[in-house]
Amino acid sequence: MPSNGHHPVTDTLTIDGYSASDVQTPGDAFECALMLAEASSLGRAVTPVGGGTALDLGNLPERVDLMISTAGLSGIIDYEPTDLVLSVGAGARFGDVQAVLAEHGQRLPLDPPGGPDATIGGLIATARSGPLRYSAGTLRDLLIGISVAHPSGTVTKAGGMVVKNVSGYDMPRLYLGSLGTLGIITSANFKVLPRPRAEATILTRHETADAAFAFASRLHVAREPMAALEVVQREGDWSVAVRIEGRDQTVEMVRQRISAEAPSDFSSLDSEASATWWADFVSLYRPQDPKTSVLVRCGVRPKDTATLALGIIAAMANAGVTVPYLAASPGTGGVLAELSFGANGSAQTMAEAQSLLLELADAATIVAAPPPWKRGIDIWGRLPDGFDVMESLRQQFDPSRTINPGRFAGFL
Amino acid sequence: MNREILIEKLQAIVGRDAVFSRPADLLVYEYDGSVDGAVDTAMPSAVALPTTTQQVADIVQLARLAGLPVVARGAGTGLSGGAVPQNGGIIISLTRMNRVLEIDEDDRTALVEPGVINLELSEETLPYGYFFAPDPSSQKACTIGGNVAENSGGPHCLKYGVTTNHILGLEVVLPDGRIIWTGGRATGGSGYDLTGALVGSEGMLGIVTKALVRLTPTPEATLVLLAPFGDIESASHATSRIIAAGIVPAALEMMDNLTIQAVEPAYHAGYPMDAGAVLLIEIDGITDDVRSTGEEIAAICVEAGATEVRIATEKAERELLWKGRKMALGAMGRLAPNYYLHDTVVPRSKLPATLKRVEEISHDFKLPIANVFHAGDGNLHPLMLFDRRTPGATERVLEASKEIITYCVEVGGALSGEHGIGTEKRGYMTLVYTADDLAAMAGLKNSFDPRGMFNPEKIFPKGYMCGEVRALRMQAMAQKLGIHAL
Repeated sequence: MPSNGHHPVTDTLTIDGYSASDVQTPGDAFECALMLAEASSLGRAVTPVGGGTALDLGNLPERVDLMISTAGLSGIIDYEPTDLVLSVGAGARFGDVQAVLAEHGQRLPLDPPGGPDATIGGLIATARSGPLRYSAGTLRDLLIGISVAHPSGTVTKAGGMVVKNVSGYDMPRLYLGSLGTLGIITSANFKVLPRPRAEATILTRHETADAAFAFASRLHVAREPMAALEVVQREGDWSVAVRIEGRDQTVEMVRQRISAEAPSDFSSLDSEASATWWADFVSLYRPQDPKTSVLVRCGVRPKDTATLALGIIAAMANAGVTVPYLAASPGTGGVLAELSFGANGSAQTMAEAQSLLLELADAATIVAAPPPWKRGIDIWGRLPDGFDVMESLRQQFDPSRTINPGRFAGFL
Repeated sequence: MNREILIEKLQAIVGRDAVFSRPADLLVYEYDGSVDGAVDTAMPSAVALPTTTQQVADIVQLARLAGLPVVARGAGTGLSGGAVPQNGGIIISLTRMNRVLEIDEDDRTALVEPGVINLELSEETLPYGYFFAPDPSSQKACTIGGNVAENSGGPHCLKYGVTTNHILGLEVVLPDGRIIWTGGRATGGSGYDLTGALVGSEGMLGIVTKALVRLTPTPEATLVLLAPFGDIESASHATSRIIAAGIVPAALEMMDNLTIQAVEPAYHAGYPMDAGAVLLIEIDGITDDVRSTGEEIAAICVEAGATEVRIATEKAERELLWKGRKMALGAMGRLAPNYYLHDTVVPRSKLPATLKRVEEISHDFKLPIANVFHAGDGNLHPLMLFDRRTPGATERVLEASKEIITYCVEVGGALSGEHGIGTEKRGYMTLVYTADDLAAMAGLKNSFDPRGMFNPEKIFPKGYMCGEVRALRMQAMAQKLGIHAL
């Protein structure tokens, strides 16, 4: 029977101001499926919860009647270091998983926002990635198998514990980034990689945005073997952060080469300091003042990254909105920005800002915003091509819209 | 719609010279690269060779009106019957849509039509300092559209990943004739990852008419090592030691003695004829790194029992060492008139035991089996050598192949690493998937193609789709009405 558990995170959690009267913590995938099936038959709306680090992501929920916590689905299921594969419960903390891998000199090459407290299931459901995307790709490139509990009461698996697998449709990638709307992820398998033997970071400060982007672009075009490359604006100050990973001699060589290219105002961090700097950098992916600020993530073709970043700042300035923080990834075309509305903030001003962003970018998602401002807004931006196929997918997998109703793209 | 009218209408869409309908012209479209007899076939009504996306969409609309299934096809090098029609219908051959539309140096992408040949894409991007990483052995002939359909791999996917890791966006004709774009140049698009779902869907969800692919910068330096061992066990051991040392080579291939016997006299690649197995290891990257990593690998191999280690840095030398591997299939004719190329994957640590089992099966079925495979990622390719003129030989091969698959699944492996399921392995799907697992896949199929018009009778076990999908629909309906039956 489903058990009503208490979980320290979920006990205090709200989703855009909605809190659930009921929190259930299944002990395994099948129990999770039963809870979903029961909720489905009773017409209750379920929000899955992992580490609670990305609950801001999504449209306003239509309802939250029940939270299902994945806290009981934690733990390493299988890990064979010589096979470079790992199977882990969805509720496992990302930080704990990395610690286990580190004991064997391995890692998931990921630095997602949410950091160590994010859970594996939550990372998959929200398809988050961080600056390491520049060199290592995303979860999408690492996910090799998955198991999912569905509102029909079934548990399905796909993929496996091998790094190459074309046995039927590639279901894991369908669930990735689906915000639980096709089922609750209960465990996942990954390909893991050796940890780099050394790392270093170079931080440069620039007088202008143009100078910062020009420097970053020069390194990118020169194909310097960088692990991450970010152009950052904080309160009008522009800097570039370069992460280098690899064998000791390579890291040293690349560090020297980039230092020689860098403007006079730069600093260089070695192994531990470098790792710490990036961990802090990733955790800053949160609005400074959540009551009047909005966090947006925009995407554009990589070569237009600078244009997008500067365009956002200019367009927002015109609209009376300040941008206290912006991080652009010139190699991948991603821009994360905090928009500060001050006293002018409202649902209407945020909606206007969103349409401005959608004129500048191919994709613009409002990652976090004050809940009242989200009413009636699709935070995911424009409706994707093939949306009717997505509607049928939702219909096929969760016909009663039990999980996260309204929260996904197009209010699915 | 009678056949004459259908052909006239097809000709009106693509032109007279782009429709094949005479039996002699259709015959070749009943085959792909699979072994004769392993895959069922049914002659198509016609083959159309469109040159534009709109033509593809028009053909799909026409097929819809005529109630005919559609099978998309590239170069026909597939090894699981994926492009072989099962219920006749119209074959859309995409080989005339073969232009590289754009190479974007800054974004590191190429926009290509589906009929572009894999190797030609890499050759075209080479002057810009890029290559297309997936490199299936058929890369001289296979097309990007086919690679997308099968989620193809190749020796270098150990480091670079498989096709899905290199596809950023797709233009697709859906089974209702509409044209959509999935994914794209920018990250962060909203909704489900339809690109991810389409790659590897074997032409059952949509027909790719353009692909936006990621290009990989050509490495600064490349080095190939050849390490012969006395037996397969010590070569496998060396493989595990290399991985355990935190090294991920670009490629790590193994060939056993039987393969060497076929390959060496044909290509003179320099593999010792008396070796029990050879490892072919490629590393690439920054010059200094490659040198030091090469030394590290050589030391590991020697410690694991390699009789020597040859290192090739020059392009010609490297290509010679690779030639024996890449052309291995062609050399098999020296050993037997026919071969059946198998494709399964096991966790790397299960390789030695799996190869032992393959040897037993070879003995039990009195079939010589050569092993040439991607040792780095546990992807086996047992090659069963036979003469199909011998009565019962093909059947024996299929029986032996079933034994191998069953064992691989038992040790945690998968049915196919890079060849796909098609018709060849659809009967084995229930070995790894439950009815619920298959129902989830059917849910995906149904969302794209509820009438089952694209490439029917593939992937799902025979007779599966209709009944199971109906059951799923009824279950969905029951849920909607609040009648829940567990």
